Amino acid sequence: MSLKFCNWLFLLVVPAVLFFLPEIVFAADVVSSEGIAAESLPSEGFAWWVWVLLLFVFSFFLGIIAVVAGVGGGVLYVPIVSSLFPFHLDFVRGAGLMVALAGALSAGAPLLNKGLANLRLALSMALIGSISSIFGALVGLALPAHIIQLSLGFTIVFIAIIMLMAKKSEFPEISAPDKLSQILHIHGIYYEASLNKDIDWQIHRTPVGLVLFVIIGFMAGMFGLGAGWANVPVFNLVLGAPLKVSVATSVFVLSVNDTAAAWIYLHKGAVLPLIAVPSIAGMMLGTKIGAKLLTRVKTKSVRVIVITLLLLAGFRAILKGFGI
Amino acid sequence: MNEKHSRPDNAQRVYGQVLHWVSTLGIVFVILGFAIYIFELFPLKVPISDIAHNWHLGAEELNRQFHLPTGWAWVNDMLHGDVLSFASIVYLSGATIICLAAVAVVFFREKNVIYTTIAFLQILVLVFAASGIIGSGH
Repeated sequence: MSLKFCNWLFLLVVPAVLFFLPEIVFAADVVSSEGIAAESLPSEGFAWWVWVLLLFVFSFFLGIIAVVAGVGGGVLYVPIVSSLFPFHLDFVRGAGLMVALAGALSAGAPLLNKGLANLRLALSMALIGSISSIFGALVGLALPAHIIQLSLGFTIVFIAIIMLMAKKSEFPEISAPDKLSQILHIHGIYYEASLNKDIDWQIHRTPVGLVLFVIIGFMAGMFGLGAGWANVPVFNLVLGAPLKVSVATSVFVLSVNDTAAAWIYLHKGAVLPLIAVPSIAGMMLGTKIGAKLLTRVKTKSVRVIVITLLLLAGFRAILKGFGI
Repeated sequence: MNEKHSRPDNAQRVYGQVLHWVSTLGIVFVILGFAIYIFELFPLKVPISDIAHNWHLGAEELNRQFHLPTGWAWVNDMLHGDVLSFASIVYLSGATIICLAAVAVVFFREKNVIYTTIAFLQILVLVFAASGIIGSGH
Protein backbone atom coordinates (compact mmCIF):
# COMPACT_ATOMS: atom_id res chain seq x y z
CA MET A 1 0.00 0.00 0.00
CA SER A 2 1.58 3.29 -1.03
CA LEU A 3 1.89 6.26 1.24
CA LYS A 4 -0.32 8.30 -1.08
CA PHE A 5 -3.10 5.72 -0.94
CA CYS A 6 -2.99 5.54 2.85
CA ASN A 7 -3.26 9.30 3.15
CA TRP A 8 -6.19 9.39 0.71
CA LEU A 9 -7.88 6.70 2.76
CA PHE A 10 -7.76 8.80 5.88
CA LEU A 11 -8.21 12.22 4.37
CA LEU A 12 -11.21 11.47 2.18
CA VAL A 13 -12.96 8.23 3.02
CA VAL A 14 -13.40 8.74 6.74
CA PRO A 15 -15.00 12.20 6.67
CA ALA A 16 -17.13 11.03 3.72
CA VAL A 17 -18.52 8.19 5.82
CA LEU A 18 -19.34 10.63 8.58
CA PHE A 19 -21.14 13.02 6.28
CA PHE A 20 -23.06 10.62 4.03
CA LEU A 21 -24.19 7.94 6.45
CA PRO A 22 -25.83 10.14 9.09
CA GLU A 23 -28.64 11.25 6.81
CA ILE A 24 -29.83 7.65 6.63
CA VAL A 25 -29.95 7.18 10.34
CA PHE A 26 -30.18 10.61 11.87
CA ALA A 27 -33.96 10.63 12.00
CA ALA A 28 -33.91 7.45 14.02
CA ASP A 29 -31.43 8.95 16.40
CA VAL A 30 -33.74 11.85 17.16
CA VAL A 31 -36.66 9.61 17.95
CA SER A 32 -34.60 7.03 19.72
CA SER A 33 -34.59 8.68 23.11
CA GLU A 34 -38.33 9.26 22.92
CA GLY A 35 -39.11 5.64 22.18
CA ILE A 36 -41.33 6.20 19.13
CA ALA A 37 -42.90 3.16 17.51
CA ALA A 38 -40.62 0.82 15.62
CA GLU A 39 -42.36 1.23 12.24
CA SER A 40 -40.59 4.52 11.54
CA LEU A 41 -37.15 3.20 12.32
CA PRO A 42 -34.43 2.60 9.79
CA SER A 43 -33.57 -0.74 11.43
CA GLU A 44 -36.78 -1.79 9.68
CA GLY A 45 -35.17 -0.83 6.36
CA PHE A 46 -32.03 -2.87 6.88
CA ALA A 47 -31.78 -6.41 8.14
CA TRP A 48 -30.19 -6.56 11.62
CA TRP A 49 -27.09 -8.23 10.27
CA VAL A 50 -26.45 -5.29 7.93
CA TRP A 51 -26.27 -2.96 10.94
CA VAL A 52 -24.05 -5.42 12.78
CA LEU A 53 -21.76 -5.73 9.78
CA LEU A 54 -21.70 -1.95 9.27
CA LEU A 55 -20.85 -1.51 12.94
CA PHE A 56 -18.01 -4.03 12.64
CA VAL A 57 -16.58 -2.31 9.55
CA PHE A 58 -17.02 1.13 11.06
CA SER A 59 -15.34 0.09 14.33
CA PHE A 60 -12.52 -1.43 12.27
CA PHE A 61 -11.82 1.92 10.57
CA LEU A 62 -12.25 3.73 13.87
CA GLY A 63 -9.63 1.39 15.36
CA ILE A 64 -7.17 2.25 12.59
CA ILE A 65 -7.75 5.98 12.99
CA ALA A 66 -7.54 5.78 16.79
CA VAL A 67 -4.07 4.23 16.69
CA VAL A 68 -2.74 6.48 13.94
CA ALA A 69 -4.06 9.60 15.66
CA GLY A 70 -2.80 8.42 19.04
CA VAL A 71 -6.16 8.49 20.82
CA GLY A 72 -8.15 5.76 22.52
CA GLY A 73 -10.95 4.13 20.55
CA GLY A 74 -13.59 4.84 23.19
CA VAL A 75 -13.46 8.59 22.85
CA LEU A 76 -14.16 8.36 19.11
CA TYR A 77 -16.61 5.48 19.34
CA VAL A 78 -19.35 6.96 21.55
CA PRO A 79 -19.93 10.35 19.85
CA ILE A 80 -19.56 9.06 16.30
CA VAL A 81 -21.51 5.78 16.64
CA SER A 82 -24.30 7.58 18.51
CA SER A 83 -24.48 9.97 15.55
CA LEU A 84 -24.42 7.37 12.79
CA PHE A 85 -26.28 4.33 14.10
CA PRO A 86 -29.85 3.89 15.29
CA PHE A 87 -28.91 2.56 18.73
CA HIS A 88 -29.98 4.24 21.94
CA LEU A 89 -27.22 6.19 23.66
CA ASP A 90 -27.40 3.77 26.65
CA PHE A 91 -26.23 0.86 24.48
CA VAL A 92 -23.63 2.95 22.65
CA ARG A 93 -22.14 4.03 25.98
CA GLY A 94 -22.24 0.43 27.26
CA ALA A 95 -20.50 -0.80 24.10
CA GLY A 96 -18.06 2.13 24.25
CA LEU A 97 -16.95 1.08 27.71
CA MET A 98 -16.53 -2.54 26.60
CA VAL A 99 -14.53 -1.41 23.53
CA ALA A 100 -12.21 0.68 25.70
CA LEU A 101 -11.95 -2.13 28.27
CA ALA A 102 -11.19 -4.88 25.74
CA GLY A 103 -8.53 -2.69 24.09
CA ALA A 104 -6.94 -1.84 27.42
CA LEU A 105 -6.92 -5.49 28.54
CA SER A 106 -5.26 -6.72 25.37
CA ALA A 107 -2.67 -3.92 25.33
CA GLY A 108 -2.00 -4.00 29.08
CA ALA A 109 0.12 -7.16 29.40
CA PRO A 110 2.97 -6.22 27.02
CA LEU A 111 3.12 -2.69 28.44
CA LEU A 112 3.46 -4.05 31.98
CA ASN A 113 5.99 -6.71 30.98
CA LYS A 114 8.17 -4.15 29.15
CA GLY A 115 8.14 -1.95 32.23
CA LEU A 116 6.54 0.97 30.42
CA ALA A 117 3.30 0.92 32.44
CA ASN A 118 3.88 1.35 36.15
CA LEU A 119 1.71 -0.73 38.46
CA ARG A 120 2.19 1.45 41.56
CA LEU A 121 1.38 4.68 39.75
CA ALA A 122 -1.65 3.06 38.13
CA LEU A 123 -3.04 1.41 41.26
CA SER A 124 -2.79 4.61 43.30
CA MET A 125 -4.75 6.63 40.74
CA ALA A 126 -7.15 3.87 39.65
CA LEU A 127 -8.50 3.23 43.15
CA ILE A 128 -9.99 6.69 43.45
CA GLY A 129 -10.88 6.90 39.73
CA SER A 130 -12.80 3.61 39.79
CA ILE A 131 -14.98 4.76 42.69
CA SER A 132 -15.91 7.95 40.86
CA SER A 133 -16.51 6.07 37.60
CA ILE A 134 -19.16 3.95 39.40
CA PHE A 135 -20.92 7.14 40.44
CA GLY A 136 -20.51 8.53 36.93
CA ALA A 137 -22.16 5.43 35.45
CA LEU A 138 -25.05 5.61 37.93
CA VAL A 139 -25.63 9.30 37.19
CA GLY A 140 -25.27 8.74 33.43
CA LEU A 141 -27.89 6.00 33.38
CA ALA A 142 -30.28 7.92 35.62
CA LEU A 143 -30.33 11.20 33.67
CA PRO A 144 -32.64 11.74 30.67
CA ALA A 145 -31.08 10.96 27.27
CA HIS A 146 -31.19 14.57 26.03
CA ILE A 147 -29.26 15.83 29.06
CA ILE A 148 -26.60 13.16 28.53
CA GLN A 149 -26.53 13.98 24.82
CA LEU A 150 -25.99 17.65 25.62
CA SER A 151 -23.28 17.05 28.22
CA LEU A 152 -21.60 14.51 25.94
CA GLY A 153 -21.55 17.10 23.17
CA PHE A 154 -19.90 19.73 25.36
CA THR A 155 -17.44 17.16 26.72
CA ILE A 156 -16.44 16.00 23.24
CA VAL A 157 -15.89 19.59 22.06
CA PHE A 158 -13.82 20.15 25.22
CA ILE A 159 -11.77 17.01 24.48
CA ALA A 160 -11.15 18.19 20.90
CA ILE A 161 -9.92 21.54 22.24
CA ILE A 162 -7.64 19.77 24.75
CA MET A 163 -6.24 17.64 21.92
CA LEU A 164 -5.65 20.77 19.88
CA MET A 165 -3.97 22.75 22.65
CA ALA A 166 -2.26 20.18 24.87
CA LYS A 167 1.49 20.07 24.74
CA LYS A 168 3.51 16.98 25.47
CA SER A 169 6.69 16.66 27.40
CA GLU A 170 8.82 13.65 26.51
CA PHE A 171 10.84 13.76 29.74
CA PRO A 172 9.40 16.29 32.21
CA GLU A 173 11.87 17.72 34.71
CA ILE A 174 10.91 17.10 38.34
CA SER A 175 12.98 19.02 40.88
CA ALA A 176 11.76 16.94 43.82
CA PRO A 177 9.07 14.29 44.28
CA ASP A 178 6.21 15.14 46.63
CA LYS A 179 5.78 13.41 50.01
CA LEU A 180 2.78 11.30 49.01
CA SER A 181 4.53 9.85 45.96
CA GLN A 182 7.50 9.00 48.21
CA ILE A 183 5.25 7.24 50.71
CA LEU A 184 3.62 5.32 47.84
CA HIS A 185 7.04 4.55 46.29
CA ILE A 186 5.91 5.88 42.92
CA HIS A 187 9.03 6.15 40.80
CA GLY A 188 10.68 3.96 38.22
CA ILE A 189 13.18 3.28 35.51
CA TYR A 190 12.40 2.35 31.94
CA TYR A 191 14.55 1.65 28.92
CA GLU A 192 14.26 4.37 26.27
CA ALA A 193 15.12 2.71 22.99
CA SER A 194 15.54 6.00 21.07
CA LEU A 195 18.28 7.10 23.48
CA ASN A 196 19.56 3.59 24.20
CA LYS A 197 19.57 4.22 27.92
CA ASP A 198 17.56 3.79 31.10
CA ILE A 199 15.45 6.77 32.14
CA ASP A 200 14.85 7.41 35.84
CA TRP A 201 11.59 9.08 36.63
CA GLN A 202 9.61 10.28 39.61
CA ILE A 203 6.43 12.32 40.03
CA HIS A 204 5.20 15.38 41.89
CA ARG A 205 1.79 16.97 42.66
CA THR A 206 0.29 13.56 43.53
CA PRO A 207 -2.67 15.01 45.53
CA VAL A 208 -3.63 17.21 42.55
CA GLY A 209 -3.44 14.15 40.30
CA LEU A 210 -5.73 12.21 42.63
CA VAL A 211 -8.35 14.97 42.51
CA LEU A 212 -8.16 15.09 38.70
CA PHE A 213 -8.61 11.31 38.50
CA VAL A 214 -11.84 11.64 40.48
CA ILE A 215 -13.17 13.94 37.74
CA ILE A 216 -11.79 11.80 34.89
CA GLY A 217 -13.28 8.60 36.37
CA PHE A 218 -16.68 10.25 36.77
CA MET A 219 -16.73 11.45 33.16
CA ALA A 220 -15.53 8.08 31.82
CA GLY A 221 -18.33 6.29 33.68
CA MET A 222 -20.98 8.83 32.76
CA PHE A 223 -20.30 8.91 29.04
CA GLY A 224 -18.80 5.45 28.46
CA LEU A 225 -15.66 7.06 27.10
CA GLY A 226 -12.22 5.62 27.46
CA ALA A 227 -10.28 8.28 29.32
CA GLY A 228 -6.86 8.16 27.67
CA TRP A 229 -7.40 11.71 26.38
CA ALA A 230 -7.38 12.90 30.00
CA ASN A 231 -5.19 10.29 31.73
CA VAL A 232 -2.15 10.97 29.56
CA PRO A 233 -2.00 14.79 30.04
CA VAL A 234 -2.53 14.38 33.80
CA PHE A 235 0.24 11.78 34.13
CA ASN A 236 2.57 13.66 31.80
CA LEU A 237 1.95 17.36 32.39
CA VAL A 238 0.57 17.43 35.94
CA LEU A 239 2.38 14.56 37.65
CA GLY A 240 5.49 14.79 35.47
CA ALA A 241 5.80 11.17 34.33
CA PRO A 242 7.64 10.61 31.02
CA LEU A 243 5.34 10.53 27.99
CA LYS A 244 5.77 6.82 27.25
CA VAL A 245 5.17 5.87 30.88
CA SER A 246 2.09 8.14 30.88
CA VAL A 247 0.60 6.54 27.76
CA ALA A 248 1.27 2.99 28.97
CA THR A 249 0.06 3.58 32.53
CA SER A 250 -3.04 5.30 31.17
CA VAL A 251 -4.01 2.07 29.42
CA PHE A 252 -3.73 0.21 32.69
CA VAL A 253 -5.78 2.78 34.64
CA LEU A 254 -8.39 2.64 31.91
CA SER A 255 -8.77 -1.13 32.35
CA VAL A 256 -9.55 -0.68 36.07
CA ASN A 257 -11.81 2.38 35.83
CA ASP A 258 -13.78 1.06 32.87
CA THR A 259 -14.26 -2.28 34.64
CA ALA A 260 -15.94 -0.51 37.54
CA ALA A 261 -18.29 1.45 35.28
CA ALA A 262 -18.88 -1.53 32.96
CA TRP A 263 -20.44 -3.53 35.81
CA ILE A 264 -23.03 -0.82 36.36
CA TYR A 265 -23.93 -0.81 32.64
CA LEU A 266 -24.07 -4.64 32.63
CA HIS A 267 -26.38 -4.76 35.64
CA LYS A 268 -28.64 -2.09 34.15
CA GLY A 269 -28.99 -4.13 30.97
CA ALA A 270 -27.20 -1.40 28.95
CA VAL A 271 -24.80 -3.79 27.21
CA LEU A 272 -26.25 -5.57 24.17
CA PRO A 273 -23.94 -8.28 22.77
CA LEU A 274 -25.35 -7.52 19.32
CA ILE A 275 -23.82 -4.03 19.52
CA ALA A 276 -20.87 -4.56 21.87
CA VAL A 277 -19.21 -7.63 20.30
CA PRO A 278 -18.93 -6.41 16.65
CA SER A 279 -17.59 -3.13 18.04
CA ILE A 280 -14.97 -4.88 20.19
CA ALA A 281 -13.92 -7.20 17.35
CA GLY A 282 -13.80 -4.42 14.74
CA MET A 283 -11.92 -2.02 16.96
CA MET A 284 -9.34 -4.62 18.04
CA LEU A 285 -8.70 -5.71 14.47
CA GLY A 286 -8.49 -2.07 13.38
CA THR A 287 -5.98 -1.15 16.08
CA LYS A 288 -3.72 -4.02 14.96
CA ILE A 289 -3.82 -2.81 11.34
CA GLY A 290 -3.45 0.80 12.51
CA ALA A 291 -0.28 -0.10 14.38
CA LYS A 292 1.16 -1.49 11.15
CA LEU A 293 0.12 1.59 9.16
CA LEU A 294 1.51 3.93 11.76
CA THR A 295 4.80 4.46 9.95
CA ARG A 296 3.16 4.89 6.54
CA VAL A 297 0.62 7.63 7.10
CA LYS A 298 1.02 11.24 8.12
CA THR A 299 -0.13 11.06 11.73
CA LYS A 300 -0.41 14.85 11.92
CA SER A 301 -3.03 14.91 9.11
CA VAL A 302 -4.97 12.09 10.73
CA ARG A 303 -4.89 13.91 14.05
CA VAL A 304 -6.38 16.99 12.39
CA ILE A 305 -9.15 14.82 10.90
CA VAL A 306 -9.84 13.20 14.27
CA ILE A 307 -10.11 16.59 15.98
CA THR A 308 -12.44 17.75 13.19
CA LEU A 309 -14.55 14.59 13.55
CA LEU A 310 -14.75 15.08 17.30
CA LEU A 311 -15.81 18.71 16.88
CA LEU A 312 -18.50 17.71 14.35
CA ALA A 313 -19.75 14.85 16.51
CA GLY A 314 -19.68 17.12 19.56
CA PHE A 315 -21.68 19.91 17.91
CA ARG A 316 -24.13 17.37 16.52
CA ALA A 317 -24.64 15.91 20.00
CA ILE A 318 -25.23 19.41 21.37
CA LEU A 319 -27.85 20.10 18.68
CA LYS A 320 -29.54 16.77 19.42
CA GLY A 321 -29.47 17.58 23.11
CA PHE A 322 -31.35 20.80 22.35
CA GLY A 323 -33.78 18.81 20.20
CA ILE A 324 -32.64 20.54 16.97
CA MET B 1 21.61 -0.24 28.99
CA ASN B 2 21.22 -1.74 32.41
CA GLU B 3 18.77 -4.61 31.84
CA LYS B 4 18.54 -5.28 35.56
CA HIS B 5 17.33 -1.76 36.27
CA SER B 6 14.62 -1.41 33.65
CA ARG B 7 13.10 -4.81 34.35
CA PRO B 8 9.62 -4.56 35.95
CA ASP B 9 9.28 -5.72 39.55
CA ASN B 10 7.82 -9.07 40.54
CA ALA B 11 4.27 -7.82 41.21
CA GLN B 12 4.13 -6.09 37.84
CA ARG B 13 5.38 -9.20 36.03
CA VAL B 14 2.76 -11.37 37.74
CA TYR B 15 0.01 -8.90 36.85
CA GLY B 16 1.21 -8.84 33.22
CA GLN B 17 1.32 -12.63 32.94
CA VAL B 18 -2.11 -13.18 34.50
CA LEU B 19 -3.56 -10.36 32.38
CA HIS B 20 -2.16 -11.91 29.21
CA TRP B 21 -3.91 -15.25 29.79
CA VAL B 22 -7.11 -13.85 31.23
CA SER B 23 -7.57 -11.34 28.39
CA THR B 24 -6.69 -13.85 25.64
CA LEU B 25 -9.24 -16.26 27.07
CA GLY B 26 -11.73 -13.39 27.32
CA ILE B 27 -11.44 -12.51 23.63
CA VAL B 28 -11.90 -16.19 22.69
CA PHE B 29 -14.99 -16.42 24.92
CA VAL B 30 -16.48 -13.24 23.45
CA ILE B 31 -16.06 -14.46 19.86
CA LEU B 32 -17.34 -17.97 20.65
CA GLY B 33 -20.29 -16.61 22.62
CA PHE B 34 -21.24 -14.28 19.79
CA ALA B 35 -21.00 -17.07 17.19
CA ILE B 36 -23.32 -19.22 19.33
CA TYR B 37 -25.68 -16.24 19.60
CA ILE B 38 -25.96 -15.10 15.98
CA PHE B 39 -25.97 -18.61 14.46
CA GLU B 40 -28.58 -19.59 17.06
CA LEU B 41 -26.74 -22.73 18.08
CA PHE B 42 -28.67 -22.50 21.37
CA PRO B 43 -32.24 -21.22 21.75
CA LEU B 44 -32.50 -17.47 22.33
CA LYS B 45 -34.28 -15.72 25.16
CA VAL B 46 -35.19 -12.83 22.85
CA PRO B 47 -35.04 -13.21 19.03
CA ILE B 48 -32.32 -11.10 17.40
CA SER B 49 -34.84 -9.33 15.15
CA ASP B 50 -36.84 -8.21 18.22
CA ILE B 51 -33.71 -6.70 19.75
CA ALA B 52 -32.86 -5.02 16.43
CA HIS B 53 -36.36 -3.51 16.16
CA ASN B 54 -36.08 -2.04 19.62
CA TRP B 55 -32.46 -1.06 20.10
CA HIS B 56 -33.55 2.55 19.74
CA LEU B 57 -35.22 2.27 23.14
CA GLY B 58 -33.36 3.04 26.35
CA ALA B 59 -31.97 0.14 28.39
CA GLU B 60 -34.68 0.35 31.02
CA GLU B 61 -37.49 0.37 28.48
CA LEU B 62 -36.03 -2.48 26.42
CA ASN B 63 -35.55 -4.64 29.50
CA ARG B 64 -39.11 -3.95 30.61
CA GLN B 65 -40.52 -4.75 27.18
CA PHE B 66 -38.86 -8.18 26.99
CA HIS B 67 -38.92 -8.90 30.73
CA LEU B 68 -35.14 -9.18 30.66
CA PRO B 69 -33.47 -9.90 33.98
CA THR B 70 -31.15 -7.28 35.46
CA GLY B 71 -28.31 -7.78 37.93
CA TRP B 72 -27.19 -11.43 38.14
CA ALA B 73 -30.61 -12.97 37.36
CA TRP B 74 -29.37 -13.93 33.84
CA VAL B 75 -27.33 -16.76 35.44
CA ASN B 76 -30.53 -18.82 35.61
CA ASP B 77 -30.84 -18.69 31.80
CA MET B 78 -27.34 -19.81 30.86
CA LEU B 79 -28.48 -22.30 28.25
CA HIS B 80 -29.58 -19.54 25.89
CA GLY B 81 -27.36 -18.23 23.08
CA ASP B 82 -27.92 -14.55 23.86
CA VAL B 83 -27.27 -15.12 27.57
CA LEU B 84 -24.06 -17.04 26.78
CA SER B 85 -22.85 -14.13 24.66
CA PHE B 86 -23.69 -11.75 27.50
CA ALA B 87 -21.84 -14.06 29.94
CA SER B 88 -18.69 -13.82 27.82
CA ILE B 89 -18.81 -10.02 28.14
CA VAL B 90 -19.31 -10.41 31.89
CA TYR B 91 -16.16 -12.56 31.98
CA LEU B 92 -14.23 -9.81 30.20
CA SER B 93 -15.44 -7.35 32.83
CA GLY B 94 -14.19 -9.67 35.57
CA ALA B 95 -10.68 -10.00 34.09
CA THR B 96 -9.25 -7.07 36.07
CA ILE B 97 -10.51 -8.52 39.37
CA ILE B 98 -8.68 -11.81 38.68
CA CYS B 99 -5.42 -9.92 37.92
CA LEU B 100 -5.79 -7.76 41.02
CA ALA B 101 -6.36 -10.84 43.21
CA ALA B 102 -3.13 -12.37 41.87
CA VAL B 103 -1.11 -9.20 42.48
CA ALA B 104 -2.62 -8.71 45.97
CA VAL B 105 -1.19 -12.12 46.92
CA VAL B 106 2.25 -11.06 45.64
CA PHE B 107 2.15 -7.80 47.60
CA PHE B 108 1.01 -9.69 50.70
CA ARG B 109 3.87 -12.20 50.41
CA GLU B 110 6.32 -9.32 49.98
CA LYS B 111 4.85 -7.82 53.18
CA ASN B 112 4.12 -4.63 51.24
CA VAL B 113 1.43 -3.22 53.53
CA ILE B 114 0.60 -0.14 51.45
CA TYR B 115 0.03 -1.92 48.15
CA THR B 116 -1.62 -4.98 49.74
CA THR B 117 -4.13 -2.52 51.18
CA ILE B 118 -4.57 -0.59 47.91
CA ALA B 119 -4.99 -3.81 45.88
CA PHE B 120 -7.43 -5.19 48.45
CA LEU B 121 -9.47 -1.97 48.47
CA GLN B 122 -9.48 -1.93 44.66
CA ILE B 123 -10.79 -5.51 44.60
CA LEU B 124 -13.48 -4.52 47.13
CA VAL B 125 -14.57 -1.58 44.93
CA LEU B 126 -14.80 -3.75 41.81
CA VAL B 127 -16.51 -6.66 43.61
CA PHE B 128 -18.99 -4.16 45.05
CA ALA B 129 -19.73 -2.85 41.54
CA ALA B 130 -19.94 -6.42 40.23
CA SER B 131 -22.24 -7.56 43.04
CA GLY B 132 -25.16 -5.63 41.63
CA ILE B 133 -25.95 -4.15 45.05
CA ILE B 134 -25.96 -0.83 43.26
CA GLY B 135 -26.93 -0.54 39.65
CA SER B 136 -29.17 -3.59 39.21
CA GLY B 137 -32.92 -3.25 38.92
CA HIS B 138 -34.73 -0.10 38.03
